[in-house]
Amino acid sequence: MKGAMTKPMVPSDAELLRLMFAGDEQAFTTLYARYKGIVYRFALLMSGQTSIAEEVTQEVFLALLRNGRRYDPSRGSLKAYLCGAARNQVLLLMEHERPYVRLVEESDEGNAVPIAQLISGADPLGDCARSQANRLVRQAVLALPARYREVIVLCDFQELSYAEAAQALDCPVGTVNSRLHRGHALLSKKLRAAGLDSATPSAQVMRCFA
Amino acid sequence: MNCHDFEKLVLSLARNSMLDAASREQSLIHMEGCERCAARMAEERALLARVRAVAAEMAGEEPPARIDAALLAAFRAQTAATTSSTVILAPGRVRHWLSWKFAAIAAGILLLISAMALSWRSASSRKPQPEELVNTPAPGSAPGPQVTPLPTVEPQEDRERIMAGQPEKPRKRFQRPVLNEDQTEAEIATQFILLREGEDLTSMERLSLVRVELPGSVINEVGIPIVLELVNTTVTADVLLGQDGLARAIRLVAANSTTESIKKDSGAN
Repeated sequence: MKGAMTKPMVPSDAELLRLMFAGDEQAFTTLYARYKGIVYRFALLMSGQTSIAEEVTQEVFLALLRNGRRYDPSRGSLKAYLCGAARNQVLLLMEHERPYVRLVEESDEGNAVPIAQLISGADPLGDCARSQANRLVRQAVLALPARYREVIVLCDFQELSYAEAAQALDCPVGTVNSRLHRGHALLSKKLRAAGLDSATPSAQVMRCFA
Repeated sequence: MNCHDFEKLVLSLARNSMLDAASREQSLIHMEGCERCAARMAEERALLARVRAVAAEMAGEEPPARIDAALLAAFRAQTAATTSSTVILAPGRVRHWLSWKFAAIAAGILLLISAMALSWRSASSRKPQPEELVNTPAPGSAPGPQVTPLPTVEPQEDRERIMAGQPEKPRKRFQRPVLNEDQTEAEIATQFILLREGEDLTSMERLSLVRVELPGSVINEVGIPIVLELVNTTVTADVLLGQDGLARAIRLVAANSTTESIKKDSGAN
């Protein structure tokens, strides 16, 4: 009975990495499944482009396959390590694409709405307003300077600790704190300019359709 | 606690992150008595609520299945290569500018190989002009494979027969000429191609050279074009390993006998 109640053992990142480099495919797929969403969403929030997010995800995990032995667990979490690698890739790709002007604001793929979002819940008008507000928040985040955008994406969206964000950005914790303060101030200003005031999202929705 | 101290802690308070009990207590007491700081806290909480609503909406967004498949293929290729020769190669990538770079490198390699072959031919042939005429493909004939055009190795009697204008004796297709020991050992190689863009190998403390056999498809996936016949076979390559054991550069190697047989095969076709 006692054995049945025992929580199943979840392998640590370090253990999965060790197995992965020994050729264990299951370890690789587990590690990939654990962090692919984090890396992809980080790149998507930083760039606003699915094509860049996909390429960054691929490059980050290829780099892990090639250079993952260099990862030192004593220096921080694998999550922060991968976010740091993703950040470098995003900046590299965005710098490379800077000379090109996008003729279309968003690709068809980027505009595609997941099926789950097409199925309306009990409050279709509320869902619509929330979706619109979320789109404005994403646009406001994308409009931030990169140094503020990256700390907001890491700390607020991905919920990394300040220490983990500092590891990913390769900067002191104090810098993360100060950039987060400044980033929040800028984001609040942009949201107000976009018509979203400081009220909570639910209160905003209530007012919209009252 | 004053407003300045409260401002330093407001993000941590709004995030409910780790804060010592005394600081939290003092902050809450200050907030109750300070309307401005209370509004500041409400603003931060509202902002975080908005951000987390977006994060929740994005929770299901993940890379498409083709990225999963590409990475799994890369893992399998690396595992296979590591097992045999500790070579780690990247799979095909979506980045077009890298593909252009590889294409440029490949074109350079082909030019180099051609130059090496021509110089070898001119140095080794006794009477170069008639032999060159014999080896010139007929106009309109199908282009040969993209392998090094190694010097001809017809036996002496063939050369004399060709010079005398006699018709060729019928012989078996795919007949490989008998090579002496020196010819068998001779081989040609491309220049080394860096596997990491812009890496300076001169800064490495130690480099070691390893001869490996790789599937042709792996070479092709890296972006180095090879002839179709070699895609499904193994390709010999020299790999430069750094002191950390990781592959830094690669060059393709072709033995004389191999290229000669390919050349003969294509000529027969």
